[in-house]
Amino acid sequence: MAYDDLRSFLNALDEEGQLLHITDEVLPEPDLAAAANATGRIGENAPALYFDNVKGFTDARIAMNVHGSWANHALALGLPRHTPVKEQVEEFARRWDAFPVAPERREDAPWRENCQEGADVDLFSVLPLFRLNDGDGGFYLDKAAVVSRDPQDPENFGKQNVGTYRIQVIGANRLAFQPVPMHDVAQHLRKAEEVGEDLPIAITLGNDPVMAIVAGMPMAYDQSEYEMAGALRGAPAPIATAPLTGFDVPWGSEVVIEGVIESRKRQIEGPFGEFTGHYSGGRRMPVIRVDRVSYRTNPVFESLYLGMPWTECDYLVGPNTCVPLLKQLRAEFPEVQAVNAMYTHGLMVIISTAKRYGGFAKAVGMRAMTTPHGLGYVSQVILVDEDVDPFNLPQVMWAMSAKVNPKEDVVIIPNLSVLELAPASEPAGITSKMIIDATTPVAPDVRGNFSTPAKDLPETAEWAARLQRLIAARR
Amino acid sequence: MTSTPSECPRCAHETIEQLFTSPVPGVWDVLQCGRCLYTWRTTEPARRSRRDAYPDNFKLTEADIDNAIEVPSVPPLASRG
Repeated sequence: MAYDDLRSFLNALDEEGQLLHITDEVLPEPDLAAAANATGRIGENAPALYFDNVKGFTDARIAMNVHGSWANHALALGLPRHTPVKEQVEEFARRWDAFPVAPERREDAPWRENCQEGADVDLFSVLPLFRLNDGDGGFYLDKAAVVSRDPQDPENFGKQNVGTYRIQVIGANRLAFQPVPMHDVAQHLRKAEEVGEDLPIAITLGNDPVMAIVAGMPMAYDQSEYEMAGALRGAPAPIATAPLTGFDVPWGSEVVIEGVIESRKRQIEGPFGEFTGHYSGGRRMPVIRVDRVSYRTNPVFESLYLGMPWTECDYLVGPNTCVPLLKQLRAEFPEVQAVNAMYTHGLMVIISTAKRYGGFAKAVGMRAMTTPHGLGYVSQVILVDEDVDPFNLPQVMWAMSAKVNPKEDVVIIPNLSVLELAPASEPAGITSKMIIDATTPVAPDVRGNFSTPAKDLPETAEWAARLQRLIAARR
Repeated sequence: MTSTPSECPRCAHETIEQLFTSPVPGVWDVLQCGRCLYTWRTTEPARRSRRDAYPDNFKLTEADIDNAIEVPSVPPLASRG
């Protein structure tokens, strides 16, 4: 089941019991953010939240935590809501292989129903904006799919980028924007600013659930997020032409904001509570002038709470970080079984692997650190045996407690690269990195007393599937 | 809303602009500091909307704003040949 817009997915969540409509009047602050924050504190499979009775507003519709549980993430991919995490990641990896799937252009985009232009643009009148965390500098758009093109190659569909960046609303028609230097849009901006030109940009809000997943996925510069969305949806991604910039934007967006990043200008931004569980900000960032806003009648404003993990952000970028690492490791080391890179966008990674020979697992750990994503993340790697599920943390803790001889199995490498937002880096952008080898030594590594492991019974896997079927059928 | 505060909760600057007012009249305003761009709603808790309750960790001074680093830095202009 592929959803073409946010609304149809919200309906599906509602039918599955995964959308909670809060009808009581709430305050814009602190209620909206506190409720979304609380979804991560009430156990598994928290629902999306939908608010339409917000004090002071007459016409607000706000969706939060849309991807904020494994049930919701499964439904976003069209999988049954009880699909285990490891299976969701495996299915994600399987569908990845269908890339690229050409998008389908449609001309009747519902966001063409209404628009504001030029001096009439007032984002506050279209979006019920609100603050997330106490220390945030203002109100943010933090779940947008932002579209930009390479100014030196504007007709190249693959180099057209769709990404999620933090965006602070600093005026009725002005935004502050964070392009981290390693992100694709930063390359586009640099090329424009080197010749003193503004960079056109389209910011799309309230998208179908797969669009939000691909916008946050680490992909190559010339790979199209729309073609990846098609692969993950199992159906072409519907796109339409944005009226001002001419960019390709999702057909189903609730709101399409168009304008330019003003060339060579910076303004104070932030702070903003980030995915690391810490604030970053108080820096001078690029600014956007908004020239046109197109929006559906009765638009739904989608926002995402992030702060101390776990929050929706961790579900949203969990599997989409595991899969690129899994693909890159398996390309050279087919022994790799699974990669759990769900902690802080892969700052810590757990890898299960078979061993070719003694010392092999540590090599896999070093390779993970030298993948493209690993250069900015992967500061801790735990290696576990092929029969340990890296998504099952009690099993991982068992492997650590039973298999690790710290003197030989913990390796620390100083002065490696990491993203500057990593709170433990010192100086910012530099860190030591650690491998913990919790695999069973194999020859010629003959350390320890591991000759008689107690393994799962041969029939257990079949019984596990049978129990899950029986439990699901009972509901 | 009446009684617009006289200073920014975050940087104590005294030029405050109204960005928006509640569609239901008189419930709240969205205000913004003319210097540090801090933006808040008048109905937010005191820890976000009053200078005397604003957390020290998040306060900004004029020097903080003036010395903030650029991210990303503005690149040199390419020479046109």
